[in-house]
Amino acid sequence: MKLFSFEVPEPTEALPSIKSRYGILQWISSTDHKQLGILYLWVSLFFFLIGGFEAMLMRLQLAWPGLQIVSPQTFNELFTMHGTTMVFLVLMPTLIGLATYFLPLMIGANEMAFPRLNAMSLWMTLFGGLLLNFSFLAGGAPDAGWFSYAPLSEKNYSFSSGLDYYSIGLIVTGIGSIGAGLNFVITTLTMRIKGMRLRKVPLFVWMVFINSFLILAAFPLLNAGLVMLLIDRQLGSHFFLPNTGGSALLWQHFFWAFGHPEVYILALPGFGIISEVIPVFSRKNIFGYTTLAATTVFIALLSFGVWAHHMFVAGLGNPINTFFAAGSMLIGIPTGIKIVNWMATMWKGNIYFSTSMLFAVAFILDFTLGGLSGIAVAIVPLDWRVTDTYFVVAHIHYVFLGGTLFTIFAGIYYWFPKISGRMLNERLGKWHFWLFLLGFNMTFFLQHLLGFMGMPRRVFSYPDLPYYGILNLISSIGAVFMLIAVVIFIYNIFKSLRSGELAGNNPWNAWTLEWYTTSPPQLKNFETLPEVTSLRPVIDWEKQKVAQKS
Amino acid sequence: MNESIYHIFRSSSEDTDIMNELFFHFFIAALVVFILVAGFLIFIVRKYKSKKLEKDKYTVLENRSTERITLFIASVLVIVFLFLTVKVMFRIQQTPSEEQKPFVKITGHQWWWEIEYLGDTLFTANELHIPTGDKFVALMESADVVHDWYVPALGRKIDMVPGVTNFVWMQAREPGVYEGMCNEFCGAQHTWMRVEVFAHEPEEFEKWFQEQKQKAVEKPDTLFQKGKQLFQDKVCANCHTIRGTSAKAKVGPDLTHFASRNKMLGGKAEVNFQNIKDWIEDPQKMKHGAYMPNFLMTEEEINALAHYLHNLK
Amino acid sequence: MKIVFRQTKLLMQLFIASESLFFVALIIAYVYFRNFSDTWEASTNYLNVKRTAIFSIFLFSSSGTITIAKYALEKNKRKLLIFSLILTILLGATFVFGQVTEYMDLYNQEVTINQNIFGSAFFTLTGFHGFHVFLGLIILTIYLILTLLDVFRQRDPSSAFLAAEWYWHFVDVVWVFVFFIVYLMPLL
Repeated sequence: MKLFSFEVPEPTEALPSIKSRYGILQWISSTDHKQLGILYLWVSLFFFLIGGFEAMLMRLQLAWPGLQIVSPQTFNELFTMHGTTMVFLVLMPTLIGLATYFLPLMIGANEMAFPRLNAMSLWMTLFGGLLLNFSFLAGGAPDAGWFSYAPLSEKNYSFSSGLDYYSIGLIVTGIGSIGAGLNFVITTLTMRIKGMRLRKVPLFVWMVFINSFLILAAFPLLNAGLVMLLIDRQLGSHFFLPNTGGSALLWQHFFWAFGHPEVYILALPGFGIISEVIPVFSRKNIFGYTTLAATTVFIALLSFGVWAHHMFVAGLGNPINTFFAAGSMLIGIPTGIKIVNWMATMWKGNIYFSTSMLFAVAFILDFTLGGLSGIAVAIVPLDWRVTDTYFVVAHIHYVFLGGTLFTIFAGIYYWFPKISGRMLNERLGKWHFWLFLLGFNMTFFLQHLLGFMGMPRRVFSYPDLPYYGILNLISSIGAVFMLIAVVIFIYNIFKSLRSGELAGNNPWNAWTLEWYTTSPPQLKNFETLPEVTSLRPVIDWEKQKVAQKS
Repeated sequence: MNESIYHIFRSSSEDTDIMNELFFHFFIAALVVFILVAGFLIFIVRKYKSKKLEKDKYTVLENRSTERITLFIASVLVIVFLFLTVKVMFRIQQTPSEEQKPFVKITGHQWWWEIEYLGDTLFTANELHIPTGDKFVALMESADVVHDWYVPALGRKIDMVPGVTNFVWMQAREPGVYEGMCNEFCGAQHTWMRVEVFAHEPEEFEKWFQEQKQKAVEKPDTLFQKGKQLFQDKVCANCHTIRGTSAKAKVGPDLTHFASRNKMLGGKAEVNFQNIKDWIEDPQKMKHGAYMPNFLMTEEEINALAHYLHNLK
Repeated sequence: MKIVFRQTKLLMQLFIASESLFFVALIIAYVYFRNFSDTWEASTNYLNVKRTAIFSIFLFSSSGTITIAKYALEKNKRKLLIFSLILTILLGATFVFGQVTEYMDLYNQEVTINQNIFGSAFFTLTGFHGFHVFLGLIILTIYLILTLLDVFRQRDPSSAFLAAEWYWHFVDVVWVFVFFIVYLMPLL
């Protein structure tokens, strides 16, 4: 039956590179989880540069009161696209990409459960993102903020076609994410190596696994909301138009019922990375494996019962607010336990500060701050004071940047040797780390203060009130430091890809399965594997080998 | 903090007092937690730092008691702050009783505030004048998109959601000017949707209120009359109200006592002759995205109209 | 059990669970607007409950015929399989036809998606269900063609059939809820 089988140039022996025989065709037709993982990372980097450029423009505009570098309309498009890009096209694809690459390796599988679905997920993500960004060329980008509150996002108030691109683009990437989520769950459930019981998987795998359920449950809600928004805009229905019988609050409910789990979708895999990096560089076991795994489930369940804490000022009434405040504060408990467990993992270890570990430690500190400011906005009367001011801007950046992005950097410095076979340059890495840490805290710590000084978020300018100018200027200078740090990081990647020190199979002497194979792994990850008996299979096997020899 | 710094902890009402108190308690708790985490982390990092990756070392350590202690401390903190949250929340956002009639209704528009004094129907715009003293209820509505009323010193912030009537308690103990702003992103000129609240002693307020209830002033000079005529001819009256004239539309702000206000365009500019002229000449130049059209008037007409508006004290 | 079969089963379970939430959201919107919107006009005034009930029976019975197809596949009865698949597709197509007539009627009564909030919620909810039925018909048709072309002589048909079958039951069950909420509840 030749009719239904297509000959695709799939890799046969070695991992292909762009220089290989099939070249780029092989990359775009690949279903190999490693290649797709790498593509995910490149896609994220591409969008990261776009989103970062938008952020820099915004900080430039806000550097001093009364500047007119971009027009108000452009500014609104910039922050909308910055938020949307960073959440949907940078953080999510990076985390999904790392999981696509390492989840099968860590459970001793050679492939994901559905390799073609895996490829589809990647391309959906990419094309959804391109569609979203195409809006810049098609008359105007979305301009109603990344959560697009109706009715501002309706045709009557947002005239360009930007929000149509927003709806369609996010639906497309959302379908891609659902595909990835399905794949992760099923791969974890069905393809683990012999002996690796579900309660013995590495924590990164566990957290991606739990996270995938969040994706599966949250994205349909977003898609439903987006579909209604799109029908409102294109076919003239009335879902979110209050003056013709619709409801503005309904959109907020749909969006945040998705949006809050989304925050944990961005956080949990990061927690997983930290739970791999910290033990390896502390030369210790992960402290409280079971607790870390259990608290993840707890967080995932709670995350669906907290969405209305984004709507404390919407006037929902005290009883509803009480319920959601309780849920939101409760999340602080498992998260706090996690933080203590990570620190306890380092306790009495031999901590080696590679760049990866530095990012992990900085993550603990910054994420604690982000968590505490998160509790502040969970306390309803304080939310009535600070929400929608720069305090919230500071909070989300402490969670997404100081939290998730730091874990991503930690993960990339940790796993780059496995992906490329070469080490990232540690000296450049440290420059990257310190500049980024300094720039990040400079930019965003002061924004807490700006929030206390009543500066609303999403303003393209501000009155020249005392200290507004200077705080914003320092904040913008911090952004420049981050820019330099990112340039160093990218330079480091390209330099190390060419001439980095060769890594060997297991440069960190780590113990999860991905370090048992070659760097980079061959097309077939593993030929044969011994049985897994503990959380530290690679160390066990080395010991067995030594014992057999003597 | 220095009084000249604008900040959200300036308090002129009971509500803001107790919110500030709650904030202070939380701030102390959060600071302690953060110092504990940071201190512990720094201690570990200094003590167990190693110059190189000790490839052969591997230690195992498990101890359930730290988890229990964390669980205990975190739970206590959550319970305490949940209790405080509920207590403060129910105290601030009390449903008004029958006697507690709402005093004003504030409606958010893109990008100005419509203010209606209930009971004794009076419409003004963009500046809220209130008497000092007891707290009162204000109703919050929106004419188009979601806005958010926030004057930090007087009370909590509250969204203005189209199709929904929210209420909020406000109070000003001392007379003075209180600045506030729209806090929910509401479109192109969200930035310039600020508001000033003027709190007067009750007698002062009564005086102001009676003044505002007057119809618009009449002046005999020709420029004024010409401006008044232009206001009708150039369809300004299709959107604005000036009581005492035939202008009765309510799309844009009420202009009856326009020149008595301090600022115009949502706090973007002061009310003076030059600004009014600039605004009429090219609204988009002054406030990009604003809904007022450019009527392409001659210099002479602009002068007359600005003169007229500038005299509506 | 073969691993591919197990994976397909899991895939369909999770996919259906996820997709159900999409419909749950649309149903929530419908019910919300029915109960809280000022401009809601009683749906019973426009909807033809009897006719839709009859067409629903076609859809429900197609769940039965696809079960026959499953039996035929297990027992390797090729003719019965093809027959019951064709029957399923025809029943499904009849239901879609019924939906089209319902839409035409509403259109003639000037009830459209942009007419009022009832129209918006009704057409979005039933439209997305109809869209899913339509996709199911395509899936079944592809499966039928593959069977006719004897593709499954070399390949195991069970997991592909499982996916199609479960998806079809899924759109059926969704219609049970939609029909109850949209058509029957106003009568109660």
